[in-house]
Amino acid sequence: MNAIAAAELKMLARNRVVAGGALLFPLVFGGFLYMTRDTHRANGNLAGVQMVVMVAMGTYVTATTTLASRRQTLYLKRLRGAAVSDRAIIVGLVAPLVAVNAAQLAFVLGVLASSDAPANPLLLILAIVIAQAMFAGLAMATAGFSTSPEHAQYTTMPIFLAATAAAVWFQATGTDGLIAVKRALPGGALAELVATAWNGGSLASVPLLLAACLAWAAAGVLAARMFFRWEPRR
Amino acid sequence: MSRAVVRARHYAGSAPAEIVERMREATDDTIIEARDVGYTYRTKRGAADGGYVAVRGLGLTVNRGETYALLGTNGAGKTTTLEVLEGHRAPTSGRVRVLGGDPADRRGVRPRMGIMLQDSGLAAELTVRDSVQLAGAISGRHDDVGQVLERVGMAGKRSTRVAQLSGGERRRVDFAMAVWGTPELVFLDEPTTGLDPESRAALWAVVGELKAAGTTFLLTTHYLEEAEKSADRIGLMHAGTLRREGTVAELTAEGTTTVRFVPPGAVDDIPVPVAGTENGLVVIRTRAVQRDVTTLMDWAAANGHELARFSVRESGLDDIFRALGTEGATP
Repeated sequence: MNAIAAAELKMLARNRVVAGGALLFPLVFGGFLYMTRDTHRANGNLAGVQMVVMVAMGTYVTATTTLASRRQTLYLKRLRGAAVSDRAIIVGLVAPLVAVNAAQLAFVLGVLASSDAPANPLLLILAIVIAQAMFAGLAMATAGFSTSPEHAQYTTMPIFLAATAAAVWFQATGTDGLIAVKRALPGGALAELVATAWNGGSLASVPLLLAACLAWAAAGVLAARMFFRWEPRR
Repeated sequence: MSRAVVRARHYAGSAPAEIVERMREATDDTIIEARDVGYTYRTKRGAADGGYVAVRGLGLTVNRGETYALLGTNGAGKTTTLEVLEGHRAPTSGRVRVLGGDPADRRGVRPRMGIMLQDSGLAAELTVRDSVQLAGAISGRHDDVGQVLERVGMAGKRSTRVAQLSGGERRRVDFAMAVWGTPELVFLDEPTTGLDPESRAALWAVVGELKAAGTTFLLTTHYLEEAEKSADRIGLMHAGTLRREGTVAELTAEGTTTVRFVPPGAVDDIPVPVAGTENGLVVIRTRAVQRDVTTLMDWAAANGHELARFSVRESGLDDIFRALGTEGATP
């Protein structure tokens, strides 16, 4: 697994297009949200949007594209011919992207925390872990439908847009109006969870929010089990 | 040193106890055993049209230390057969045992086999060294990347990215990955496709070295002369089934020898049956070559004939192969 992850990091560093997508865009987007923030409002809602968008972009879209690409070039098939388990292959491929994304999040949220620290850092870390698991699972599932990395640019759009919209919607309106819909959308409950961790206050809704996030993570893993393919369709 | 210990020293770290145990058990000389194996690809219409039957009723045995070549027409099912035996595909019918176990067993069986796929699956961004090192790290066997690259003639390209390699060079990298750590069994799917003659010879030389060390090979190739030279036994596939199997001598034993020469006079005067004429040459096909050639020579000497452009050619694999192409889909 370590060898696969190390190779993946090298490939990430050597491919400018993928490096741009995985490293630059999420960071730029997170920075843009920070620069245009409303300084009169609590930072929690902004942190929620930053995290959902950055993970959706850096982990979900990049992992989907990477998996589709590795399958198209038969790299996955080659790895599967070796003495490592399927789980080790997937973790080896996705872990570097998750690690890079987590480092980006740490930087962007760290800047935000310098002016207004999160009230519940442990809950925030839990939210980050769940976000990564959820979007990595969804990436595997989406990769099952993506025939090529180019195709993945389209297949990732529904979940990416839904997650971004839910997070932005939550940032703008908070828990007012149609809260059940916001929480049901991918990224909605996650944004609220981050806001709760950052702003503090009642933790009564946390179990529900965790359940919603975990449900999406489970749906991603389940869909991945059903739809993920190791070789291009013949 | 026991055979199991000799084999065990190739494995990275200490070989799992179950592998060592299986190696001890593997005194049986059968390395690959396929019984009545079939493989059907699911098509986009699913099971509605029954799918595409690539392999059916295939029975095959490969013994330890043997080099077995699968030959066949395009679309005969060679690569699918190989992928089933490698554990890349589960057979849709029949039974496969490789090295005494399931070829898809990553822990017990895979560390003992090397695989060279028909399509490389190399990562364009990695260097030659990175690629071989990665393959080695996940193979479950030990080796030295420098020595392996030296062996396949790619040491000078160790820092070159795969994207910059020619097709032939990529095949050599593929081959390096397959033979990393001297596995007991190596699958080679069209290993010399795209290689220049010198590189082909070099690759077969390495195969010869490994074979001398006890490695078993199962390969496919379109180069009949390579199979003829390197394989102990050959299986001929057509339309998803194994049609013939044996040594080159066995396969060609039933073939005829062809005698050709310029007829010195009327064809009807020739004292052995004539099959026809080609480009002004008489063509005689015979299974009793010594008798018929003696008859011809005696006849020519007695009549003062000179048999211009006289040639005798034994039937080879290419004749058998061509005949295969004319056979129907069912044996």
